[in-house]
This record gives sequence, C-alpha cells and structure tokens, in this order.
Amino acid sequence: MKTIAKERVDEITKQTAEPAWLKDSRLKAFESYLKTPTPCNRDENWHRTEVDSLDLTTLNVIVSDSKEVKAGKEPDVIAAALAHLGKQLPFIYTTPQSVEIGNADSALLSKGVIFCSLKTALTQHADLLNKYLSSGDLSTPDFAHNDKFYLMNQSLFNCGAFFYVPKNVILESPVLNVFTSGEESSIAVFPRVIIIVEDGAKAEFVNISTSARKTATDNTALSLINSSIETVVGQGATLSYLDVSDFSDNTFAVSRVYNEVKRDASLHSSTIALGGWQIKSDIQTNLKEPGAKSDIRGVVLGAGSERYSFNTIQDHIAPDTSSTINFRVALKDSSSSAYLGTIRVSKQGQRTDSTQSNKNLLLGANAHADSIPKLEILADDVKCSHGATVGPADKEQIFYLMSRGLNNLEAEELIVTGFFRQVVQSCPVDGAGDWINNLVAEKILSSKKA
Amino acid sequence: MAAREPLLKIEDLWVSVEGKDILKGVNLTINPGEVHAIMGRNGSGKSTLSYTLMGHPRYQITGGSIIFKGEEIGELPPNERAKKGLALAFQYPVAIPGVSVSNFLRASVKAVRGKDIPVKEFRQELKAQMALLEVKDEFLSRYINDGFSGGEKKRLEILQMTLLKPALAVLDETDSGLDIDALKVVSTGINTLATKETAVLLITHYQRILNYVKPDFVHVFQSGQIVKTGGSELSEELEARGYDWVTQELTPSGVA
Ligand SMILES: Nc1ncnc2c1ncn2[C@@H]1O[C@H](COP(=O)(O)OP(=O)(O)OP(=O)(O)O)[C@@H](O)[C@H]1O
Ligand SMILES: [Mg+2]
Repeated sequence: MKTIAKERVDEITKQTAEPAWLKDSRLKAFESYLKTPTPCNRDENWHRTEVDSLDLTTLNVIVSDSKEVKAGKEPDVIAAALAHLGKQLPFIYTTPQSVEIGNADSALLSKGVIFCSLKTALTQHADLLNKYLSSGDLSTPDFAHNDKFYLMNQSLFNCGAFFYVPKNVILESPVLNVFTSGEESSIAVFPRVIIIVEDGAKAEFVNISTSARKTATDNTALSLINSSIETVVGQGATLSYLDVSDFSDNTFAVSRVYNEVKRDASLHSSTIALGGWQIKSDIQTNLKEPGAKSDIRGVVLGAGSERYSFNTIQDHIAPDTSSTINFRVALKDSSSSAYLGTIRVSKQGQRTDSTQSNKNLLLGANAHADSIPKLEILADDVKCSHGATVGPADKEQIFYLMSRGLNNLEAEELIVTGFFRQVVQSCPVDGAGDWINNLVAEKILSSKKA
Repeated sequence: MAAREPLLKIEDLWVSVEGKDILKGVNLTINPGEVHAIMGRNGSGKSTLSYTLMGHPRYQITGGSIIFKGEEIGELPPNERAKKGLALAFQYPVAIPGVSVSNFLRASVKAVRGKDIPVKEFRQELKAQMALLEVKDEFLSRYINDGFSGGEKKRLEILQMTLLKPALAVLDETDSGLDIDALKVVSTGINTLATKETAVLLITHYQRILNYVKPDFVHVFQSGQIVKTGGSELSEELEARGYDWVTQELTPSGVA
C-alpha cells in the first residue's frame, strides 16, 4: 500500500478554516499514521483483506467545501428508507459534491438537539465538539493506537455528521445520515460521525452508506471510503444505532466504530453489510461504568467475490456490565467473511455477563467463512459464552421450497431472510426489520442464477 | 371411444441414488381425477418414487420416462413441475426456522398460480381451508414445521395441497403418525382434494385411511417395482394376509 503525503493534511486544514485545536489533532494523528506500519495479511485481524493493491497516491482525496443546502427531491436511497422508517424523518445527505439537509425538524431544535454536518458543527458548535474530542474518552479504542486506517481518518476526515442529544431528552424516532460516493471512482473519502447522547436521554440514529452504481470489478478505479463512527452513551441513556452499507464492486470500505457506554446506559447497534469489493470493519464497545449494557448485531450478505472482515471487541472495563453479540453471515458465490470476536474482561470487571454468537451460512460452492472467538478474561466471577457455526445451506430446505413453486433464488431469499430474522426482527428502530428484509431480498433476487 | 390422455404415465422408470439402483422399472398410469394407493414394505422405494416425481436432485433417472400432461418432466426443476400441477406432501417435512408459514404459503400460492393474489382474498381462502383442517391461526405466524409435532406437520402438508389444488397430489404417508381424530380431519382434507380436477397418489401402510378415501386402484410396491395392481379390495387382502402372500404368489414355484 502506498501512503498519503503530508500536503494532503495541510490542504484539508487550509481549505476548511478549522479551529487551531483541530489542526493540531489532525497533525498529531498524521504523525502516528506515518509511524504505524501498514497492515498485512499476516495480521490476524487482516488476513482475509487485501491491502497491497491499494495505492493511496492515485486516489483523489475529496475536499468538499460545500455548504449545507436544503434537499430537493429525495434521492431513491433515502426515499426507500423513509418509506419504512417514517416519511418525515430528518436527514443529511452527503455526496462528494454537496451536503443536503432534509425534513429539518424544529421540534428537535427547540429541545436543544443538534443534527448537522460535521463541517457545520466545527464552525457552530466547535466548543461542544472540542469538549468531547479532547476529553480523552474517545481516544481509548484499540485502533486509536495501532490502526493505520483509523489514524488516516483522524487526520483527513472531510465530511460526516454530528448528532447531539442533551440530558433527559427522549426521542422516539431516528435521524438519518446518508452518505453516497455517487458514481465517482478513484476517490478517497473520510467520513466521521460523532454521536453524543447525554445522561438520561434516548435516541436513534440510522447511518446509510452507498455508492450509486454497481460496476464491474475494476481495480484500477478503486475507491476508498474510510469512516469513523464514535458514540458516547451517557449515564442511564439509550442509543439505538443502525448502520446499513451497500457499496459498489470497486469500493474498499473501512470503518471503525467506537462505542462508549456509561453507567446504566444501553447501546443497541445493528450493522447491515450488503456490498463492496472489500469491507473491513472494527466495532469496539467499551462498557466503562457499572450497569452498562450493549447489544451488538450484524448481518452480512456477500455475493460475487466480495470480502468481509468484521472485528468486534467488547471491553468490560467496569464491574456489573453485560453485552450480547449476534452476527449472521450469508455468503453466495465465492464471497468470503472473517469474523473475529473478542470479549475482554478487565480485573475490575467482576460479574460481567457476556454472550457472543456468530453463524455463517454458505450458499455458494466457493464461499468461505472463518470465525474466531477470542476471550481475554482477567476477572474470576464472570459469565461468558460464545458459539460459532459455519455450514452450507440445507439442500432439503431448498428442495422443499422449490417443490412448492419457488425458484432457486426465491427459495434462497426465504432461507436467508429466515436465517437473518433473529438478528433483524428485534432491531429497536421501528420499521427497520421490513426495510432490511427488503434490501436483502433485492440483493438476492437481482443476482444471477447459480 | 376416444382414449383420454393420461395425466401421468410412468414407463419403465429406473432410478438410482448414489450409484445404487432403487427403482427398477416402474410402470404406472394415472388418469385425471383418479385415486391410486401404493402400499409396500419399508425400504421398497415408495418415497424414492415420490421424490423422483417431484425432481429431487439426489435421485438420478437412469432409464425410462415420466410423462406428465403429455410432456416429459424428468429434466424439469421442482418448481416447474409444481407450476405444471404436480405436488408432493412429504413423508418427513423439513423445518425452516425463521420463515413464517404465512409468508411462505403466500409466496408458494403466488408462484404456482403465476400471479399475485390480493392479501384479503388469500386470507379468506386460507382461513376456510384452515377451518376445514382444524389448523389453528397461531400456526401462520410460526416458522415452517419448526417445533411442529408429527401430526401438525402432516396437517400443514395437506393444507398446502388444498391451497395449491394440483392436478396430481402425491401424498407420502400423510396418514402416518396421526391420532384417530387427526386421521379423520386429514382424510376429510384428502377427500376435498380428490375431485375431478385433482388426482391423488396415496402412499400408505394402513388400510385405515382407505376406509375414508376410496381408491380406484391399489398397487403393491416391492423392490423398486409395482408388482401387483387391483381394486380397493386388494388393500383389505394385504391387511389380512401381509406382503408375503404377494411375494409367494409371484414366485413361480407352483408352475406345472
Ligand atoms: N440418500 C440415500 N442414500 C442411500 N440409500 C438411499 C437413499 N435414499 C433412499 N435410499 C435407499 O433406498 C431404498 C428405498 O427407500 P425409500 O425411502 O424410497 O423407501 P420407502 O418405500 O419409502 O420406505 P418407508 O415405507 O420406510 O418410507 C432404501 O433401501 C433406502 O435405504
Ligand atoms: Mg417412505
């Protein structure tokens, strides 16, 4: 992998007229970035991801300086989501050319809720943002220290969103942050999303990332979407986060999610990955104070030669915390997936209750799945369980459905949505279950017959 | 008298599984609306015949032909056979966790009829059949055969047959494992199914079911072949005398 030049960072800081503290933090991250070795296939965490062919010097780093404008007609991707989740939900729509705001809700504003592009936040809410970014809280994930892509994002982030929910504000419906790389290729984009839910508040956030068109694999026109998502769930607060991504075959999508969960707070997080050349995603959840709870789910539907690599880390730092992880992966054709699930319990983490489950359904004859659980437990009074399965689709199930008139793909679609159901149906965001089922069905039914 | 075209004509059908011959020259003709019963020992090949008719990929046709509605169907995928009007109620229906009965039934009826049915209309039709077969509403939201008792599975199979209204319903031991009340209910289902439009091929071990559903023909299956065919009296004779009687009768030891 060829790296990026320092001028890129300078360009960004110059063009966006950022506060000095942010410029410092970008440069600091860039220094660490230079010192950090490029991951290679020998790393346990990277062994199914191919990074050698990524040449960052050829990528066009998008520095959109665009102001927020009011959205015109809703793009299809948003219309489809809103049809299931609620017609009037506020959204931010970011493309390499523009940032659009839709369905702005004055009721949210009057409650002190902030939902805006990261750029706007850096000018209008810089102090508030600085309070969180400089608190040190957000610098604790593993990847803050050793991950080249995370550091790349921290020095170069150039779009994204900020969602702030003040103390004791209860929101019953989600806001949508939608990013698309459009039809552009050979670009590098670094979205950063920051979600702060203050003590006693309750909120939902939906993050959608796409590229406009599925193109044939063309490595010469590769794009990098390198995202960072940070959430802080305050004492007694609840955050439901839903992430849906569907990229084209020439997109390398890296994402780093860091969740920080405080005393008696709950985090529900569902990640739905539906496409991309390679998807490399780390999700770390730190259960920082007693009573913190997290529920992390994932759904992966691979096809063609897509590669997915998910790495979850549950860090039980305080006593009396609990976490559940449920990842389901269905792979068609010669797609592959590597899941690495770490449960970590510190010495103080007594009475931790943690379960982890990863199931893989192989639909394609050449599909491949790895599942690696990792337990690092230092406390002695803990309840931890983990389980993983990898297996082919049941031919008798396919035959049963086909004998009742369904064709091969229709049968596969029912089996896969059935396989995902347990993870999808209890997603706390209203309407999300049907929406996800539709997206899954679309991907399967639009694929070529096996 | 002009000869009717048979609905199904199986001629000298040979089928193997994993290289082993299971069916060894089956001949069977079924006309529209007829009820045929097949009886025979465990392992004689009855389910192999039913799977082969429906097109299970594991069963390889090594000889002979299956003509259904005038067309050779041996190469058709199972869903095309279903659309042509063939249906199989499984001896051992498989569970499909996560797929609700109601979703599946609607998808299935839509696929077989080749058009979408308005939700309300479908509900009404479904409710009527469910009442007839005494299937409780809660089954609709459950997953296909998941955690169903043996008898519940059989009821769901018959329910599907009555919804799909095939030209030929192959019922593989749909009467096995049922209590007396369930047997009556399932028999009622089979009788509503067996009309001028629907022929039935009933695979069974028990004379009992034939008291409710009168077959036009009874066939005895043995070692991958139909070795004897008669009217409904044949099943009573089998019940009284067992399969050995057929075997002995076929052994040409008494030939002068
Ligand atoms: N997949 C298979 N692999 C090996 N042998 C098989 C397979 N399927 C069927 N057979 C064999 O074929 C023969 C016929 O089986 P089949 O299930 O058709 O019998 P059946 O007449 O339906 O019996 P039953 O009355 O017990 O249902 C048996 O000897 C069985 O073991
Ligand atoms: Mg059988």
